[in-house]
Amino acid sequence: MREFYKNINDALAMLDGLEKDLNLRHLTPNELKVFYTIIVRSECNKFGSNISDIVENSGMSRSTVYKTLKKLSLEGIIQLHQSEEDGRESLVILNN
Amino acid sequence: MKNFLTLSVTSFIFSVVLWVLWHFLDSHVLFLAGKGGFFYLPHAARVLCIVYFGYRAIPALYLGELVGPYVLEAGLYSFSTLIPSLISVMSVPFALSFLNMLGFTLGETRTSPLNRRNYKHIFLITFISAGFNALIVNLYMSRNNLSFPNAMTDIEQVYRFLIGDLLGTIIVFIFLAMLLIPVLRQARS
Repeated sequence: MREFYKNINDALAMLDGLEKDLNLRHLTPNELKVFYTIIVRSECNKFGSNISDIVENSGMSRSTVYKTLKKLSLEGIIQLHQSEEDGRESLVILNN
Repeated sequence: MKNFLTLSVTSFIFSVVLWVLWHFLDSHVLFLAGKGGFFYLPHAARVLCIVYFGYRAIPALYLGELVGPYVLEAGLYSFSTLIPSLISVMSVPFALSFLNMLGFTLGETRTSPLNRRNYKHIFLITFISAGFNALIVNLYMSRNNLSFPNAMTDIEQVYRFLIGDLLGTIIVFIFLAMLLIPVLRQARS
């Protein structure tokens, strides 16, 4: 069994290197969940996803989503734009 | 023996889960329907299990490859996939042997020519194995006049196999990195 765990440990070390180079290391699991939701939603809507959709699909509280969006926006990972259809709603767009 | 059993069960479950996930995305998710050839997730199971568990994972992976088209979705293909599946599983040992022939032996330290703790080296193995898989499976299919539903066995299919195996493996690696590493970090802290 020790050999099995050693093999799994080597695989995790490889994945750790990948995560490090992807530069997502500093995000907490909740922030990552919000980030994945943004990626998935952006596949469905190229013009940006609204925050209510992200709250609903991530299963996170509105305040966690807002804090994460602020952090991602400050780091230049996403952009927040006001919706043209509804001025009260902000759209989240992934930066290239 | 216990280790062989553990790695076989792990490889089999991993392979079947990825196949089920891939098949679900390919047939039930609207914007991905019919595009499954461009992100073949189960290739990640072949690469990860053979690189980390060794050649002992081959029987379980082969069984896992057959479960999808023979048990879970029987009749999915109009031809026997016994040989194509075996070629697909063996594409990773072919790639490792090819790299070994060139002097790149698989190890686990920084001085190893191929370090299994380095994801870039794993991507190289993935790329070469995807190439072997694309070429040999399609060669076999074209020699025997076989084709997948709604697809022709031609050079486009070779390209689709290559891209599909590469993209599928990258998606699984990124997903696992994002899923497992934060969870492990949280468990450790």
